[in-house]
Amino acid sequence: MRISPLISPVAVTAYQCVSAGGDDVDALYASLLANRPCLKPLNLFDIPFDTVVGEVTSALPDIRRDLQTYNSRNARLALKALEQGGFRAEVERAVALYGATRVGLILGTSTSGIYDSENAYARLQQDGVMPDNFYFTKVQTAQATAEFLQLELGLQGPCYAISTACSSSAKALAAAQRLLVTDCCDAVLVAGVDSLCRLTLRGFNSLQLISADACRPMDAGRQGINIGEGAALLLLEKPSADNTDRPRLLAVGESSDAHHMSAPHPEGLGAASAMAQALRLAGRDVSEVDYINLHATASTLNDLAEARAVASVFANPPPCSGVKGLLGHTLGAAGALEVVVSLLALERGFLPGTCGLQMPDPECRFPLVTAPELNVSPRLILSNAFGFGGNNASVLLEAA
Amino acid sequence: MDCMSLLGVGVCAPDPDFRANLPFPAFAINRETIPPLLRRRSSQAMQMAFSAASAACEQAQRSPSSLPAIFASVAGEINTTDQICNQLVKTDGVMSPSAFHNSVQNTAAGYWSIAQQCTQPATALAAGSDTLAMALLEAWCQLACQGGELLLVCYDEAWPGYLVPGCGNPAFAYALLLAAGTVDGRLMQISRPQVGESIFPADWTDSVNSMPILAAIPLLEAALTGRVPQAIALSPHMPGWQVHAGVASAYPKTGDGEKWR
Repeated sequence: MRISPLISPVAVTAYQCVSAGGDDVDALYASLLANRPCLKPLNLFDIPFDTVVGEVTSALPDIRRDLQTYNSRNARLALKALEQGGFRAEVERAVALYGATRVGLILGTSTSGIYDSENAYARLQQDGVMPDNFYFTKVQTAQATAEFLQLELGLQGPCYAISTACSSSAKALAAAQRLLVTDCCDAVLVAGVDSLCRLTLRGFNSLQLISADACRPMDAGRQGINIGEGAALLLLEKPSADNTDRPRLLAVGESSDAHHMSAPHPEGLGAASAMAQALRLAGRDVSEVDYINLHATASTLNDLAEARAVASVFANPPPCSGVKGLLGHTLGAAGALEVVVSLLALERGFLPGTCGLQMPDPECRFPLVTAPELNVSPRLILSNAFGFGGNNASVLLEAA
Repeated sequence: MDCMSLLGVGVCAPDPDFRANLPFPAFAINRETIPPLLRRRSSQAMQMAFSAASAACEQAQRSPSSLPAIFASVAGEINTTDQICNQLVKTDGVMSPSAFHNSVQNTAAGYWSIAQQCTQPATALAAGSDTLAMALLEAWCQLACQGGELLLVCYDEAWPGYLVPGCGNPAFAYALLLAAGTVDGRLMQISRPQVGESIFPADWTDSVNSMPILAAIPLLEAALTGRVPQAIALSPHMPGWQVHAGVASAYPKTGDGEKWR
């Protein structure tokens, strides 16, 4: 007997992304099947240590003239994703159908446009003032890229950013679902966007978490993480007869570790609680989950906490894998970008591999997918995102 | 859900001159609300947020350990971020691990959950000049979906002056303890935020344009003085986000609430 859900599902009617895995979802799909690291030495700026990153190296579009005050790498990544595969047209369809005031926008970001602020600070130290073209509240504050997208698309519904470090855009999906089920909106654009910047690269290096080489999530010989960047856009709508063929976002489980600012609870209690909460909200049983997209950053503490969390929630865990060895850790964008990976798995029928995995950590007592598995049809997928502050989110998705 | 009930309020305004001019009671930072181990390194933002949050919980006689929390701020940990950015310019610049993890927008949310041993979800939200309105909307959605109660904390520490000359002060924080529906012991009822044409008090418009988190002054005045207008503007924008409010019998009964949505 199925337990009735505590929150109504919503339809994911369109999604696109740009990342080191390529400029659109088809390129990402090809990268996922190839399962070779898309990580390369950093090109964008200099850093005083060795690492590889998931950098978007193709040209980014220019911000249009009347929105130049919002110009930042973060906004341009978002704009690039918007221009892929007819995604903009899908948003325009929603605006025409529901009206601009009924289409909301939730951004998940950790960096916002801080990369551009870093460049402005160089001028500050030289000239004593910030450059004329620096607009703090349109570049650096967390909502900046959300406001840019809202103006670019002419949306007039609720618009805000969730910024909870590496769980930001997974939690943005949760906020978007609530806006729909409470009838505050008929459609919500969710954007997960983070750009490479000195602050996060050098910050994670100060925590001694950066790997010089391509990272190896869940591997016994892991040496730390690689940072990536990207923009993932998802259009969520209320379920209707028009979108029965689209995958569903069933629920997002959220929790706090209440343990430490930068280290996870060692037993993964918060992570386990988020996964269990997603299933509880959706009224689904653990036995129904076909695949877990792990957060799996390749930091030892994070990987072990997540491994213990999976083992505690699932008596018979489903196949699991993590894609950060392919794309790097895209931080605030990771939740949404890896939900896109999970939606590709649902819609195109495969399980992503764990790029970089050579010898699974013996603590990972669940089936780890090393190379991509083809000709499988997962129906129910959990996608995890855990961040600083012990901030956890687990997204439950179902095939159409 | 017809409305949210406001069960407790705390307002922290560190600048004594600014505090004296507020049309409702506020207090200075209460360091007792910060765990001793965190006091030395905590930002003004976090100290204000904790002070306001503790006061709201105390007024409502609720334990923070069981409440989901929404922390909303325009600029978050802006002084820590600013110090890091100044270091990053230098080739030999120093980046401390704690400065890094204390620069995230959810720093106050994270430490609050740790200090209160609260494993409920904690969110950090930002929406520029609509930060208060979007925070109230997020609160509405959470309560409408999950019922129960939650803690909403809005705060901004003073920004470094060169970021937006003339803007970014004074520092200010407030916390609202909100419950789903009509609950006994409420200070007032608050509707779902919606766009309308309520006029923001002219006396405060310049202040809010300089420091957007101050947009709650009309809402806080209503809650703390009991002089509750029917509609309360949540920003100086016109049209802009607003809430309807009410006390006891003045708030529309179930059914009438529909028209406010």
